[in-house]
Amino acid sequence: MKRLAGVNKALHRNRLGEIGVEERKNAVRLTGKVDSREQYLKAGYIAAGRGYRGVINDIEVNAGGEGEMNLPSFQDNALEGKHFNVAVVGGGVIGAAIARELTRWNLDIVLLEKEEDLARHASSRNNGVIHPAFAPSPGTNKAYYNCFGNRLFNREAAELGIKIEWPGSMGLFTRRWMRLLMPFIRHRARQNGVRGVEYISPEKLKNLEPHVNRRFWGAVFFPETGNVSPYKLTIAYGENAAANGARVFLQTGVEGFTREQGRITGVQTNRGTFGADVVINAAGLWADRVAEMAGDRYYTIHARRGTIAVLDKKAGPLVNYNLGVLPLADTNTKGGGVTLSVDGNVLAGPTAEEVPRREDYSTSRLDIDFLFQQQMTLNELLRPDHAITYFAGNRACTFEEDFIVEPSPHVENLIHVAGMQSPGLTAVPAVSREVSRKAVDILSSYRNVDPDPGFSPYRKPPIELSRLSLEERSRVIKENPSYGRIVCRCEVVSEGEIIHSLQSPLGVFTLDGIKRRVRAGMGRCQGGFCTPRLVDILAREAGADVRQVRKSGPGSELVLKKTKGEVDYTGFKLKGVPGKKEEENSAADRF
Amino acid sequence: MQRTDFKVDTVVIGSGPAGMAAAVAAAEEGAGVCVIEREERPGGILKQCIHDGFGLLQFQEKLTGPEYSYRYLQMVENLQIPVLTKTFLLEIQHKENGFRLILQNESGVFSLNPRAVIYAAGCREKTSRQVFLQGTRPAGVITAGTLQYMINIQGYLPAGKCVILGSGDIGLIMARRLTLEGAEVEGVYEIKSEPSGLTRNVAQCLEDYRIPLHLSHTVTEIHGTERLTGVTVARVDENFKPLSGTEKFVPVDTLVLSVGLIPENDIIESLGVELDSRTSGPVVDQYNMTSLEGLFVCGNALHVNDLVDYVSESGETAGRAAAEYAARGLNHGDSNGKRVNLTPGNGIMYVVPQQWKIPMEEETVFYFRSRETVFRAELEVAAGNQVICREKYPVLRPPEMERLVIEPYLIPPGTKEIQFRLRC
Repeated sequence: MKRLAGVNKALHRNRLGEIGVEERKNAVRLTGKVDSREQYLKAGYIAAGRGYRGVINDIEVNAGGEGEMNLPSFQDNALEGKHFNVAVVGGGVIGAAIARELTRWNLDIVLLEKEEDLARHASSRNNGVIHPAFAPSPGTNKAYYNCFGNRLFNREAAELGIKIEWPGSMGLFTRRWMRLLMPFIRHRARQNGVRGVEYISPEKLKNLEPHVNRRFWGAVFFPETGNVSPYKLTIAYGENAAANGARVFLQTGVEGFTREQGRITGVQTNRGTFGADVVINAAGLWADRVAEMAGDRYYTIHARRGTIAVLDKKAGPLVNYNLGVLPLADTNTKGGGVTLSVDGNVLAGPTAEEVPRREDYSTSRLDIDFLFQQQMTLNELLRPDHAITYFAGNRACTFEEDFIVEPSPHVENLIHVAGMQSPGLTAVPAVSREVSRKAVDILSSYRNVDPDPGFSPYRKPPIELSRLSLEERSRVIKENPSYGRIVCRCEVVSEGEIIHSLQSPLGVFTLDGIKRRVRAGMGRCQGGFCTPRLVDILAREAGADVRQVRKSGPGSELVLKKTKGEVDYTGFKLKGVPGKKEEENSAADRF
Repeated sequence: MQRTDFKVDTVVIGSGPAGMAAAVAAAEEGAGVCVIEREERPGGILKQCIHDGFGLLQFQEKLTGPEYSYRYLQMVENLQIPVLTKTFLLEIQHKENGFRLILQNESGVFSLNPRAVIYAAGCREKTSRQVFLQGTRPAGVITAGTLQYMINIQGYLPAGKCVILGSGDIGLIMARRLTLEGAEVEGVYEIKSEPSGLTRNVAQCLEDYRIPLHLSHTVTEIHGTERLTGVTVARVDENFKPLSGTEKFVPVDTLVLSVGLIPENDIIESLGVELDSRTSGPVVDQYNMTSLEGLFVCGNALHVNDLVDYVSESGETAGRAAAEYAARGLNHGDSNGKRVNLTPGNGIMYVVPQQWKIPMEEETVFYFRSRETVFRAELEVAAGNQVICREKYPVLRPPEMERLVIEPYLIPPGTKEIQFRLRC
């Protein structure tokens, strides 16, 4: 009860005395009402780090809630009555990696994702940096998984056929005296297992990174910083998992669990209720809601938005290293700067701003201005008009600000993987191995779990013309002329690459799905030229009417009506589409 | 890698109104010309411009886009100029004696090694994020040109009720087109205090259809997760900053953007060609040759035009000069690079071409735009401190490009700079 009194006292000190505090299964729960989101967050942080397993923040905010979880609206029976050894909830990079890791064993695995594709939330909304394990405080889960995840990344990328680059990063010194921090920096690096840390003098910095802002006094160099495409990685995990027998169910939302005697026996979804021996909660921004449904909520997720600007590939040659300001202390607003990407664009950001609505990814002028005025100026030659687009993502943070990677003590077949904010992407290979081990441990207590002899960690990477020599390119085109037809002119993506991406085991037929897989529409015209062509290719390959072609989820259809009956103006033969009659067109479903 | 078997000394990149005019002019001068086109059919963006008003200057007739383009296509066919369609330019290298173009089509990758290259790849549209619109990224945000392709070429209507941001010509034309196809245009919003498009288009596309034009207004935020649910519009002050308190939510399913065009020069930029930040196109001389010998640029890749006739005219200039260059090298080679620079002075946004190489043999056409709308304007062309030409205009508007022919004999010897400026 001493801890509880401590929380109470601290809340009083911060004029949050009206907030109710109670203990619940070794976690601390906050209740009551406050006016602002800031007070809600403040109370959460006050209660964290006081010896509890976690903070359950049930305070209501008068200014408005967090918005509802966007769940699929349709129902079917695809999963009804089925049984899986392990059900992974959440098709982000963590869930997909865990599913793939579990296919090493002779187990029936299902991966559930509520959206129409994998990597729709944080996993496609970050800058793809593989961090050195320097930022996290020693001894935290973040530090541990960051270190080992980083070391496993090369192998993971090679197996999955994913491009990865290791430019290294510069932690820039804002003050002249900061070079005196080098012994502490080296000590921290040793503690966290970061290798190759090096002091860079101001002169050397100017040589290595000629366009770096002159206000910096040298830097510390981290050679273990890399870049990867986070969504391509997620999709690769998902495809490899599927190739090894995992079932991937998209547009499948968890609505509840059936529980008997302290364990989960059934998973209720919009596609039916199925049985599961082990459930892994990798639900990202909604992990606490899933934990609640499972009867073991002891943490609270809050969304911290990061906005990132994508700069034209022309800016690529101006930057050699990932650049960031070396933070003087652990802060939650840290991060951000200028980073390279494996696709040749430079990224600026991310910002860090607490937002109430977890799935609201709108950008704001304020964030963009901050990005352009603060982060982009680390490099003197980057300009706002280099920006071809920008986007926002929400980090799934707990009040403890650390990863939760542990089996539930209360529900014997549930494992939590939550609070996976930065460096969550870096941690993926280590976390997936750990979680898969824990799942196998649970199953091994009452059955044999054997390795699957048919497992192959290798995924055949798709043909990417941009990575081929001209001779290889020519050979590919001769074998399959569709690779000779360029559809996306900015990123030079061929029809062949697009068709191939649609034939993946995940079966995603959306404009954004194509974009995440082959980059069509990601260039400087942002789909202006290729979108109409992609609409036709999608309709043809899916054997669907163009009016069914969507940008992303249901409701994002692009074509509302046909104006010319059934005449095909594009040269494409639509297969399986019966001719539409005039009256059908006039009654076409207007949005 | 394969080589094509025909002999070419001049390659034209792009078969729109600039590229075809250039190819025709070059072939008439006797060059071995070939045209590269990435799309399935030649014609460029004109294929989708089914409205009329094209060709008043070139053909003294009011033609539709496809008709205009067909006229040139016939000339191309009569001159037996090969047009390689569905062929994409991957890379362009500068060689000692010309250029090496790496191209790809359904038959594989191959190269051409012409002496001269005429780059006529047109322009692209600015997107919502490139004009810093905020909010979400739902379906239903579309640029006017993409919309025009979908409606006119594909026969798809991607809009129900829409707002159009920007009163550029394509935006105005699409307001009419959408209305005719049964969509509802809630209004056209223009951040400036006057329309960006041609006056005739404001009258024919908006006023005739009673589509409201909201000047000094802009869209500030995009709403909706999957499909657009609406936009926030607001009045702006004279610095284009939205005025708080004037925001209004407009429920629409489509936002059409007509917020500017950018000459598409990315592939030749990689050759280190000198660019003009005012036009976003390269710096050229009176032959439309860039700072790189043998590389010519014309049409909207050079600067964004408002009349297709001028686009073709600039193609003809480039075509004739490229043929001459391919046959004989620089005819002005003995000038030792001497040239007169053309610069925009008071009230002038830009002047193209930016250089007049010496010797100045022929009368030369210059295009310019004013910075803002000026009534009863008087243009002065000054060579050094001597005014060599004065022109009076009842009105000069930034959206309406002006054309001025200057005779070389007017230029005093030793002139280094010619300035276009408005008399105050």
